[in-house]
Amino acid sequence: MKTLYVDGNTALHRLSPRVKLAGLMLASILLFLTRSPLALGTALALAIYLYAMLPLGFKVSLHRLRPVLWTIAVVALFSFLVQSAEEATVALLRLSVLMLLAASVTATTTVSAFIEVATEAARPLERMGLVNAADIGLAIGLVIRFVPDITGHYQSVRDAHLARGIKLRPLTVVVPLIILTLKSADEVAGAIDARGIRNQKA
Amino acid sequence: MSTRDLVLTALFTAIIVALGLVPPVSVSLVPVPIHAQSLGVMLAGLILGAKRGTAAVLLFLLLAAIGLPVLAGGRGGLGVFVAPPAGYLVGFAFAAFVAGFLSERFVNARQSGFAQISGFFLAAVVGGILVDHLMGVLWLAYGPTGLGLTKATIGTLAFVPGDILKAGIAALAARAVLAGYPLLPHRA
Repeated sequence: MKTLYVDGNTALHRLSPRVKLAGLMLASILLFLTRSPLALGTALALAIYLYAMLPLGFKVSLHRLRPVLWTIAVVALFSFLVQSAEEATVALLRLSVLMLLAASVTATTTVSAFIEVATEAARPLERMGLVNAADIGLAIGLVIRFVPDITGHYQSVRDAHLARGIKLRPLTVVVPLIILTLKSADEVAGAIDARGIRNQKA
Repeated sequence: MSTRDLVLTALFTAIIVALGLVPPVSVSLVPVPIHAQSLGVMLAGLILGAKRGTAAVLLFLLLAAIGLPVLAGGRGGLGVFVAPPAGYLVGFAFAAFVAGFLSERFVNARQSGFAQISGFFLAAVVGGILVDHLMGVLWLAYGPTGLGLTKATIGTLAFVPGDILKAGIAALAARAVLAGYPLLPHRA
């Protein structure tokens, strides 16, 4: 799977992921404290500048932002029709700033740096006995490892349909796909325990 | 969590991701393509139960948050958590929990097939539709979009018929998986 991270050496890349996430959270609170189009417009200009500084290239940037921009546009239009132009402008500006800032953090932080933050953040939960923090990294690795296998299962289920001249229907695809996939759970769990990866006592 | 539970959770997350990659399937009766990813979320609760189902969805959301393009259409990143439909996305975790919690109580292996399907359908409607749409509406109404409660509710109603169809498919699929490879923990 290709991640949304882009290589580079900008100031954002060098900043610690914790600082970036805290900054994003702070920005989302600040944006709600004002309704002034001038302040929000300035924030948008800054966010665009920040995002444009990333080594993404215009085409890739547009490709990444298009789906989210699209939903923002639809909601702004809905808001304009049922509420007022002012409401629509505020929503449009706030959402665009937040989305650009979030996309900037995503593009400048590696998956392993994020896993580290998630593991750190789970430590208090671990002390409460809710999760094993080290499992988070293991689980993420398992998902990335198994997605291609499952799309492979999907291909074979589809081929089986085609070979028998049956139409593809959600039910007849999803059920064999799930059973095929979950049946390998015991084998995978056995392999993990045999290698002592989780250091469990029980 | 035992290693087997951890693996089942991760495998189901992978199924939810994979369902976002396959092209949407259309059902012959209704001209709406079935968006398979939210079907996967309902199924996580119905098939794995509350605890593992919620964990599978939380893992899915974590993958999206850290920038893996796991959402349908190859989307991902922190941006999707502030976009207008973010409430529905975060609501997935609550949906899986409620759907799992209810199906653990409504469904057991000794019931007739019809009773099992009805139990799963009820759990999918309450968890997958009621809870998810409630979260979605709250975010649309009071989040950065600020639509207000009435307008957000009107907006969400357009998607309910399609979701009821999805709950029906989820119930039939969950019952078929229960018959073929039972995993749901039973509770009185």
